[in-house]
Amino acid sequence: MKTCVACLIASVVMFSGCEEKKEITVTETRAATTRDAAPKLFATSDERFRDAKPSPVKGDTPAGWLALPASQFRLLNYRFGESGMGEVWVSLAQGSVLDNVNRWLKQFEASAIDAAALEKLPAVTLAGSTGKWVTAAGDYVGGMGAPPKPGFALAGVVATVGGQILTLKMVGPKAEVEAAKPVLESFAKTLRMAE
Amino acid sequence: MELSDTPPPRKPTRSIPGKIFDVLSGFGLATITLLLLGLLTWFATLEQVDNGLYPTLNKYFSIDWRHIFLLPELNGKMVPLPLPGGYWMCALLLVNLTLGGIIRIRKGWKHAGNLISHFGIIFLLIGAGVTYHFSERGNMAVGEGESSSAAEDYFEYVVEVAEIKDGKPAQIHIIRGKDIDDLKGDKLRTFRLPGMPFDLELTSYMYNCVPVSASERAPDRGQFVADGYFLSEKPKLAKAEPAEQYTAGSYARIVTRDGKKAAPFILAGACFHPFSYRLGDRVFTVDMRKRLWPMAFTLKLDEFTADFHPGTSMAAKFISKVTRIENGGEAKVTIQMNEPMRYEGLTFFQASYGPPGALPGQKMYSVFEVVRNPADQWPKYSLWIVAFGMFVTFIIKLAIFLGAGPRKSRHV
Repeated sequence: MKTCVACLIASVVMFSGCEEKKEITVTETRAATTRDAAPKLFATSDERFRDAKPSPVKGDTPAGWLALPASQFRLLNYRFGESGMGEVWVSLAQGSVLDNVNRWLKQFEASAIDAAALEKLPAVTLAGSTGKWVTAAGDYVGGMGAPPKPGFALAGVVATVGGQILTLKMVGPKAEVEAAKPVLESFAKTLRMAE
Repeated sequence: MELSDTPPPRKPTRSIPGKIFDVLSGFGLATITLLLLGLLTWFATLEQVDNGLYPTLNKYFSIDWRHIFLLPELNGKMVPLPLPGGYWMCALLLVNLTLGGIIRIRKGWKHAGNLISHFGIIFLLIGAGVTYHFSERGNMAVGEGESSSAAEDYFEYVVEVAEIKDGKPAQIHIIRGKDIDDLKGDKLRTFRLPGMPFDLELTSYMYNCVPVSASERAPDRGQFVADGYFLSEKPKLAKAEPAEQYTAGSYARIVTRDGKKAAPFILAGACFHPFSYRLGDRVFTVDMRKRLWPMAFTLKLDEFTADFHPGTSMAAKFISKVTRIENGGEAKVTIQMNEPMRYEGLTFFQASYGPPGALPGQKMYSVFEVVRNPADQWPKYSLWIVAFGMFVTFIIKLAIFLGAGPRKSRHV
C-alpha cells in the first residue's frame, strides 16, 4: 500500500512538472548598454523589416496602380492591370542607355540595336531629362531562372539623369501594357529626383 | 589415501551490488567507452561538414534524453550503427575512472603516479561537464574607434521590453529564449511585466524565419498578417545554415492592465528597429534580438591590423589593440590569435574581422568571441596533473629498476 501511495505521489509530481505554463512573470532585467543607444521609435513595418530608406526618386502614383514596398533594385514599385501581373518599377542601373535598352530587348528575344537605331527611338521626358522610349512584345524572360511568360509586352524609358542611368519599366500582359502606355508616359513626366 | 566427502572450498559468490561495482570499475568498460567516444568524435567531425557545427554538437553531445542513442550520418545518408550519446559516455567514463582508477586501484606509494594521473583525467571530465552546463559563448563586434560594453549570445533570441526615457531605454525586461521557444503554432503564453503598465502575449514562435510583405507574396500556409507582413519559415538549404545565422520570430500582442488587447504585431530577429508602443504619455519598445550580456567595463577598439600569408586570403595574424575602460580607469591590452584577454571571468578571443575584402585604409571592425566559463583553465590544470602523475610513475619505475639492478646482478 505504501509503495502504491509513493508511486502515485511521484507520478503527480512528475506530471505536474510537464504542465504547460500559460503565464510567466518576467523578473530578469538588464541595464542599457552601448548597443541600446537611441532606438528609432515608431518605425513603420517597412522600416523595421527592410530598413527602407526614402527613395531618391519620387513620382505621383497614377490612379489604379498599387504602390508596393521598394526593394533593393526597385526604388519605386507598382502593380497595375486587371490580371494582377502588370508591373512597373523605377531603378538606377549600371552601363549606358544603349546597354539597358538592349538588355530589355533581349528579355523579349528581340534583336539588339546599335547607336544609330537608338537615336531614332522616340524621346520621352523622364525626371526632367530626355530619355528613349522602348517597346517590345513576345515571350518575356525576366531572368533569375523564371519561366518565359508568353503574350507579354514591354514599355519603358531609359535616360541619363544627373550622370546616372534612370530606368522606368512596365511589363505585363500585352493588352494591359498597350492600354497603360499613355499613363506610363504621363507618370514618367511626374518623376523627379529627391533633394 | 583417504578420499574426503567434503567438497573443495567454493569461491564466495559476489553479491549483485558487488557485480555491478566490478562492471562499472572494470577495464572492459573503460576500453568500450573510450572506443565509443573515439567513434562519436570521428562521426561528429564528418557530419558537421554537412549539418553544421551547432546541430551536430547538440546531436552527439547533448544531455537531452532524445540523444541517449543516435544514428550517425555520412554524406547525408544514415549509417545504421546506433551509438550512445557522447554526454552519457563521458559520464560513464567519469564513473568508471572514479570507481576503478581511484577507489578500486591498488594503493601504495608504487601506484601514486597512476592515482594522480587518473585524478587529472577525472578533473578534465568534470571540467567538460562544468563547461557544458555553466559556460556561455557570444561575440562582440567593435569598429575601429568605437566602444562596446556588451557581448551578444550566438544562439539565444530573447524578447526585450523597455520604457523609453529621454530617448534611451531605461531598465530592460528580458523574456528568455527557453520561455518562448516552445510556443509553436497556436500555443500562447502571457508574460507578466511587473513595473510596466501592460503584459505581453507571445505565440507562433519560429526558430528560423523572416518577415515577408504580404503585398509581395501571399501567405502560403495561412500565416497571420500583421501590418502588411507575415512570418515565413526559411526553407532548409542543401547545406545547413549555421545555427548562429538563424533569425527567430514570433507574433506578439500587448494587453493593458484593464484587459484591452492591442493589435498583434511581429517580433523578428531579422529586424532593424524595435516595435514602439505609446500608452498615455509613456513610450515603450518591444524587440526580439540575440541576448546581450552587459559587462562591467567597456572595450574600445583603438587599432586593428590583419596580416595575410603572401598571395592568399589566409590570415597569418590578426591584432586588436584595445582600451579597457572601467570606473574611469583605462588599461591598454592587445588581443590576438592564441593570446586572448582574460578579465573578470570573461575570455576575449580574436575571432574574425570585417568587412570582408576590405581595401587598404578602409575602416575595419574586429570580432571577439567572448566566453564566460568557470572551467576555462581546468583542461590546462588537468593536463599538468596528468603529466605530473606520469612523471611520478616514471620516477618510481626508474627507482625500482635501479634499486633492483644490483640485487639481480648479485644473484647472477
